[in-house]
Formats: sequence, structure tokens, C-alpha cells
Amino acid sequence: MTQETPSPLLHLSQDHLGHGAEVVLRDLDIRLLPGERIALLGASGAGKSTLLEALRAALQQRDVAAAWCPQRQGLVPQLSVYHNIFMGRLDQHSRLTNLLNLLRPKPAHWQAVATLCEPLGIAGLMERSVEALSGGQRQRVAIARALYQGHDLFLGDEPVASVDPHQASQLIQLIHARHATSVVALHQRELALTHFTRVIGLGKQADGQGHVLLDVATDGLTPGDLDFLYPAAATRESSDVS
Amino acid sequence: MSADPSTMTAELRHPPRWWQARSDGARLLHLGGGLVIAMLVLVPFADLSVTSRDPWQELGRMLTGLASPAPGALESPLHALILTIAFALWGTLLGALIGLPLALVYSRSRLLRGICAGLRAVHELFWALLLLQVFGLSAATALAAITIPYAATFAKVYAEILEQLPQAPLKALPWASSRAMRFVYAELPMAWRRMASYTRYRFECGLRASVLLGFVGLPTLGFYLESAFREGRYAEAGALLWIFYLLIATLPWWGHRRVLPVLAIASLWWLGPWPDISPTLLWRFISHDIWPAPLVNASFESLTSGELATGLLQWASHLPDLLPAIGNTLLLGLLGTAGSLLIAMLLWPLASRHVGNRLSQHSTNGLLIFLRTTPELILAFILLLLLGPSLLPAWLALALHNGAIIAFLCARHANQIQLPPSRPQGKFECWLYELNPRVAPGMFALLLYRAETIIRETAILGMLGVVTLGFHIDSSFEYLMFDQAFALLVLTAILNIGVDSLARRLRPSGEISEDSCVR
Repeated sequence: MTQETPSPLLHLSQDHLGHGAEVVLRDLDIRLLPGERIALLGASGAGKSTLLEALRAALQQRDVAAAWCPQRQGLVPQLSVYHNIFMGRLDQHSRLTNLLNLLRPKPAHWQAVATLCEPLGIAGLMERSVEALSGGQRQRVAIARALYQGHDLFLGDEPVASVDPHQASQLIQLIHARHATSVVALHQRELALTHFTRVIGLGKQADGQGHVLLDVATDGLTPGDLDFLYPAAATRESSDVS
Repeated sequence: MSADPSTMTAELRHPPRWWQARSDGARLLHLGGGLVIAMLVLVPFADLSVTSRDPWQELGRMLTGLASPAPGALESPLHALILTIAFALWGTLLGALIGLPLALVYSRSRLLRGICAGLRAVHELFWALLLLQVFGLSAATALAAITIPYAATFAKVYAEILEQLPQAPLKALPWASSRAMRFVYAELPMAWRRMASYTRYRFECGLRASVLLGFVGLPTLGFYLESAFREGRYAEAGALLWIFYLLIATLPWWGHRRVLPVLAIASLWWLGPWPDISPTLLWRFISHDIWPAPLVNASFESLTSGELATGLLQWASHLPDLLPAIGNTLLLGLLGTAGSLLIAMLLWPLASRHVGNRLSQHSTNGLLIFLRTTPELILAFILLLLLGPSLLPAWLALALHNGAIIAFLCARHANQIQLPPSRPQGKFECWLYELNPRVAPGMFALLLYRAETIIRETAILGMLGVVTLGFHIDSSFEYLMFDQAFALLVLTAILNIGVDSLARRLRPSGEISEDSCVR
């Protein structure tokens, strides 16, 4: 850790965020520094996806390229795993290359994708259609597509939601090994404490509005400190979701 | 993760050869490529000559007629219009009512599939020609000619829609749920929109069929259209075409689901005339007229003495030379299918909101409306007048009409797709990787469904003088040789069923699960 604070990649300061008239989050002031590993936590409906979308839009405005792994994975079910991953770099190839790649992949591209697929455990599935895959396998394809984009910054909306904790930990390590900076929405708080440097917790305050309730370094934090982000299910959950 | 290419297995180092690719997309690619290659190989065997002397002058006269229509010269356009709508509406409605219960057992009953394939395989016009001998020029002929093949089509298509539903809600039902309850609670709610939109589309086809019924003498728009065209009164023909285009174009308004029941009941008033059916004549027709004479007079003695066999052979020797007709039918069917594929692939992107711009969307939509609204028989008729009698006008008409129908449905499907926010930047890439893979299975399913329709349409093009099987059917009816006409109809049906089963085998199967892939 250097003493002087590096200049932030992004400073997102907005008094409200939402879809149309519906306000999801209020009073945002978030700085994103290079090299940070940020875990976004919060009950479902707390606004994690909304915040990620906003970060992504703001980064795009500043021409900061970011790998993006959306919650609904945005895969094309009829295409093969290889082609779905290749789509991560459509903007970097010529039209002709993209067209021919559908008919006959180039060995160089095929190898590059295979190299990514090996550690993800989906190298044997590259010719399969995505619609034939299980939920966990699809999630790996979506991660592979994000990795294939080859950017320094990774934004992920619950990219490890449908795999077991051990695999989730491996996938996060892989994502971190390939990206200097990452912002990842999670719902496993243990992962947040072991693999991330900073936690942003979202939730509703007494006024019923969504806010950033927590924005701290993970050093010394225990899972118990995060409990308040997940209010007891029976009384509050239903109102939170709505 | 430090995978070194030299340590990789061959499978990872090299992509699969194109003919070995196994993904669904690759299979469709092989299918489409195969069709187009077959088309290119077979084109030299087709008679595609242009024989007319001055096609451009005739085209000019037709376009002048279309540009300066003379609605005042028409005899009773309103009555023809109302009859056209009434036949289509009641024909489709009765067809759907009969087809829906059949769809529930369709995939389980081989017999039902066979019967439906047989009924569907005969074009509405030939049903009309056949029924005409019994019911005369009456509403019964018109309604039955539409209802019979449509019921069989609805049974097949509804069954296919049900087949493609996501299976999870069905499996979640209690084991003991009856077929009817499964349908009402799980299948119908999921399938309703697709079934309703298909029925609506079919009604539009019904309107076209209803117009065509005029070609055999029923007093719909087509009756006046045909005589105006044949006698070169192009201004009147133009007026009738415009009436028909307006009818189809305004369908969203007058075809609203609240208006249609009112229209259906009101149109009953005009539906007619109803025939006097003589049971003895009907029985004579069914039991005697349509069968080869040796078969009708057959007895046990004639069977054992071989008299029946020789009689049938002699009867068969009077049939026209069928091999060229069958060859032409199949050839035209294949050329029409491949041509439709090319036309559809070219036109749907231009008409979709993700790929086309506003100008291309509007102009392509206009072209698609023109091509799919004009009945293929009329399209072929016009092209025939321009190019002379060969396979060329028939091929163009089939490819343009069916290609436009497929392109329209594909564009609509594409417009319903919500592209993910992470979609590729360029329109070309969007089309290639996001839209095409999603649209193509539906497109091929439609195309292979249309392949059967196309084969069926090659038959009615015979009425224009293209020597397909339909040509011989038409002339047999003309000479009142019902036994020969019926035998040829059965032969045509068998040919269609063969093509249908081939198309069914090639049709992309498997539900398209979009659950994690929607956005």
C-alpha cells in the first residue's frame, strides 16, 4: 500500500439512482481506486444491480473499458460455448473475421478461448450449445466471456451465484488473477471477507429508502459485522423485496 | 491457467472441421448450405427459359392498370368483398375449433397424423374443385374447402407449439393430473399468445385462399380478378387488387378480437347460397364416380381371374405421363424452398428494428406486405404473363411469396428480442451473433413447415399451365374424369406426406430455453 492516495478511476456522486420514477438508491458517493477489490453486499432488492449498472455507464462515459459479467448472463443459447466466449471481443475484430468465425473458427482464436476455458473446467464443452449446459456451466461461460475481453477492470453481478462455495472461491481467485481492479456483487459474505479488500453494503434505512449502509475495508471485519445488512427474514424480507 | 498450446490436446488446439461441428447453429448452417447447394446443382435441369415476346409492354399495361384503378367499372365489389371475408372467417374459425382438440392427441396418434397429413396435403383449391362436384357453387363448398385443410393444419401447428413449451411447469404438476387439466392449467396459458397469433396469421391466409376460390368460380374477389386479368381489363384488376391490399392492410383494425365475433355473426346473413344436396348423387359420387371403373365393378371372381389386375393396368395406361410431372413438382418444391430461404434471410434483417434503419424498415415492410399479401397464384399469373410458360415464373412466385412470409415472421420475432446491455456495438455483429442464432431455429422451422406448403402450391400452379401434377388434376376435372382426378389427388397427397415427413425430420427440434439468456 502506498501512502499517497492514487487518483480514483471513478468518482460516482449522485443523489439518487433508479429506474424511471422509482428511486432505488439515495445519496451515493463512491470512489473507485485502481487495485481495489470491492464486494457489493446486501439483501436481494437492495440495489446491487442498479449500482453496478450505474458504475458501468459512468465508466463507459469516461472511456474506461471494463469487463462485464451480468447477472442474467446474456448468453445466446443456440450458439456454442466457443462462440459465446468469442463474442466478448466482437468489437476488436473485422466484420469478415467475425463472419468467418461463425463458419470456421481460426485456430488462434480457438486456442485463446481454450486457454481460458481450461482453468474454468469447460474446455471440453467448447462445441456444445449453451442451451445444453447446466446453470453452473453457463455461469462459467459468462465469466469466460468477461475474461476474454481482457480488460483491467472487472464488474460482475453475482457471477458466482450458482456454484458451490469452494468453486466460487476458485472462480473469484481466477477473476482477480486476471483483473487488477474488481467490483463484484455477491451474496456469500464469507467470500467477501476472504477475497476482497473493501465491502460496500447496501440496504434500506429507517426512512424506507435504499442507501449505502457500509463502506469499509475488510481488514478485521467479521461475518457478524455484516449481519445487519440482512434483516431477519420473517418481518422485514417481504417489505424489502417489494 | 498458464495453458501452453504445445501441451494442449489436439481437440483444444484445433477447432472442429466445419462438417464436424455439433452445435445447433452448425446443424442449421449445414441444412441451409445443403439446400442452396442442391438448388445450384439442380437449376440446370429446370426449364427456366423466358419465352414471351414482349414482357415489358405487358408489365407496363398492368402497372398502368394498378396505378389508375377503375373501381367504378366493378360489378358488385361489396358483395364479393363480404363473401371473401365471410368464407375466410368461418372457414378459419371452424378449422380452429376442430383442430384444437385434435392437437392434444396429435403427437400420440400415428393414425391422426396420417389423416391430417392427407387432408392438409390437398390444396384448398383442389378441395373446392372436388367438393364443387357435390355441393355446387355454394357456401358449403367454400367453407369446407377452407375448413378441412385448416383443421388438419391447426392440429399439427398447435401440437408443435405445445411441444415446444418449457417442460418445467408441466413436470411440476401433480402426477395424476388429466390431459385436459394439464392443458387448461399449464399448456394453454403458456401457449395462448403463440396460438392466438398463429390463428390470426392463418385467418390472413384464409383471406387469400378465399380470394383464390374465385378461380374455380365461387363469387369472391378472385372470381372478378381472374376474369379481369384474363380479359386484359387491367384497370378493373388493379381496383380489385387495391381492395384486397386495403383489406389486408386494415386487418389490425377490423380484425380486432372484439370486432371479429360481431363480424362473424353479421356475415352469416350474407353467407350463401346453401346447396340442395341430393343424397343419392352424393353417394354415387363418393362410391362410384371417383374410383377407377375396374375397382368399382370388382368382384371376387374378377380378382381371382386376374381380370381386376388387367383392368386396373389398362385404366392406369390411360393416365397421362406422370414422371415428368412428379419430377417438376419435386424440382419446383426444392427450388422454391431454397429460394424462400435466400429471400427470407435477405429481407428479415432489413425489416427488424435492431438492424435496419427507419427507411429500410418502412420500405422492406411495404415490400413484404405486397409480396405476402398477393396470393402466389396471382403472383405466378402475373409473372407468367411477363415471362411466358416455364418453371421460372412459378419459382419466382413461390420464392418471393413464401420468403416474404418467413421474413415477416422472423422480423417480428427479432423485434421481440430484448438485446442484452452487453450487446456488441456494431449492427452487423449484433445481427450475426445476437439475432441470427436466436432467429434462425424459428426461421428453419418455418421454412421446413413451408416446404410442405410450397409443394402443395406447386400443384395449384399447374392450373396456370406449369406441368406439375396439379396441371393433370386440373385438366382431369375439366374433362369430368373424376376417377383420374381423384387418383392424382391421392398421388399428390402421398408426395406431400413424403416431403412433410422429410421436413419434420430436418426441422430443428428441442425447446429453446431462454431462461438465463433473456437479457
